[in-house]
Amino acid sequence: MPVIVFAVIALTMPFWFPLVGGYAGLDTKILIWAIFAIGFDILLGFTGYLSFGHAAFFGVSAYVTGLMLLHYSANIIPAMIASVIVTTIIAVMVGFLTLRRSGIYFSILTLAFGEMFYAAALSIFSDWTGGDNGLTGLPTPELFSMPFKENNVFYLVAVLAIIGYYIARRIGNSPFGMMLRAVKSNQTRLEFTGLDVKKYKLSAFVISAIYASVAGSLMVIYEPYVATEFVHWSTSGKLVIMSVLGGVGTLFGPMIGAAFMLYFENVISAFLQEQWLLVLGLVFMFIVIFLPGGFVEGAQRLKRAIAGKAGDGNASKGASE
Amino acid sequence: MSGSLINHVFLQILTGLQLGAIYVLIALGLTLIFGTLGVVNFAHGALFMLGAYFAVIIAGKFGFLTAIIAVPFLLFIIGIIMERGLIRFFYNRPHTDQILVTFGLAIVVQETLKWIFGANNIPFPLPRWGGGILKLHEWLPFLEGFVAYPKWRMILIFVSLVTVAALFALLQFTRFGLIVRAGMRDSEMLRFLGINITRRFAIVFGLGAMIAGIAGAFGGPVTQVDPEVGMAFLVPSFLVVVIGGMGSLPGAVLAGFMLGMAISFSAQYSAIQQIIIYLVAVIVLLVRPRGLLGQKGVMEE
Repeated sequence: MPVIVFAVIALTMPFWFPLVGGYAGLDTKILIWAIFAIGFDILLGFTGYLSFGHAAFFGVSAYVTGLMLLHYSANIIPAMIASVIVTTIIAVMVGFLTLRRSGIYFSILTLAFGEMFYAAALSIFSDWTGGDNGLTGLPTPELFSMPFKENNVFYLVAVLAIIGYYIARRIGNSPFGMMLRAVKSNQTRLEFTGLDVKKYKLSAFVISAIYASVAGSLMVIYEPYVATEFVHWSTSGKLVIMSVLGGVGTLFGPMIGAAFMLYFENVISAFLQEQWLLVLGLVFMFIVIFLPGGFVEGAQRLKRAIAGKAGDGNASKGASE
Repeated sequence: MSGSLINHVFLQILTGLQLGAIYVLIALGLTLIFGTLGVVNFAHGALFMLGAYFAVIIAGKFGFLTAIIAVPFLLFIIGIIMERGLIRFFYNRPHTDQILVTFGLAIVVQETLKWIFGANNIPFPLPRWGGGILKLHEWLPFLEGFVAYPKWRMILIFVSLVTVAALFALLQFTRFGLIVRAGMRDSEMLRFLGINITRRFAIVFGLGAMIAGIAGAFGGPVTQVDPEVGMAFLVPSFLVVVIGGMGSLPGAVLAGFMLGMAISFSAQYSAIQQIIIYLVAVIVLLVRPRGLLGQKGVMEE
């Protein structure tokens, strides 16, 4: 049911989104980030492991897609498949190194190894990646000689976002998803029951990296250019911020967070000029301090407050009668 | 030939020490705060950056000597305010929340500095007594010919060694240090013994911030002073903490200088230099998952 709601909202976006001040193409970008954020929620929301290095998967995938489009074929299918394969391999390696110890350790190491990919893209791989300039001069992506531009890209992204959301919900409701939530609530207990916790954590990590890679790949299909920013820690930071703002662990929340963040960055920033990121940082801190469940928790609290007031009214009425 | 080789190696070691000095200072504060309070401070790079900006401003108005006295003091106060005003509310919350709130703070500090001073590097002129070069061959007989090194970088190395020594002395020889060290081992036990560790932990946070301030004031002229510098130094400093062993102060010193050396000695292969610290980290983590001097039981579930 929520999947259908999301599908309707997503597919009708081109019609209503311009009405609230969004420019054409921003809706595509929002859905790409939504895919990125759903995958991230499988890791952060389910297992509680906070990664600061997902820019690496997003960025590497973007570079692979770009290089495939440039050197192999403008067809998006091989480019996307290659991106996912390369990202998966990298995710297994990074996950193996970073998931060995506690959650704090993981956050620190993912930040550091994420930056390793940034440094590598700008140094040892700069002949391939175009260094500081990013990867430019890409052909228009196509699928069986149908060029991918504007609307085509939007519907491709929207369909993948809906599928991604559907799969994430299925994972969340499956026994595997229960295991991931168990990792969050009490890892030691899970270990004592004889389960291989590492395997579950690594699976969640790799799945989230695959979502990141699909998003990174789509970003290049949407706009045939790879910016160095894609691998920079600020991309990971943006992902963390939108997930927390929306509501970690709810799958829907991070997507709302993605929409809020991009809307904020591209539309509201016009009123705040250079200081939009400062305002966003303050909003983020406020949410972390007072509303750890993000917008979703805020909405629930509001609903409960209204319902509670009504309930109180009934109760007092009952008492007086 | 052997003489020039000695010269070369000696200069590389100095460069390694100088690069490592800043990492060591930032990592010491990080690991001190983590070891005692159990908090991973993602805003520690921002504190370092604040130190550098304050130093530029104060040095410009009142001279450099005032700056190097005032900046660590200011950062100490800021550290205590940060602990009392923000961090202490997070001791009973999940670790991820602590990371998130300090990360948010880091962004706020970074963007505020960007707003006030702009995104570009602001110049940090050296004081008159700190400029120029030191002719090392006049003092060290094993060097041949003419060997010189920038004076300021020698001062930076010296200051970091003195700071490390002072911190270790404080922790080793005072009652305050005894309690803090005991707190790093088992803070719950200390509470049972009726020792007020909360107040001391605020001071520990202040100390960590102060050391970051020292790094900013003395490192600022060597690094850049721009709003990105905090994050740029936080990442390697995290690696230093992890390689040294979480919560191990000697480990942070060892790993900091080690990474400095790794960068310095890989300078002739310029492409590798950018990622050498990560390669070292990968190797250390594979061989010694706890880090070089990490203790059993820290950060293990």
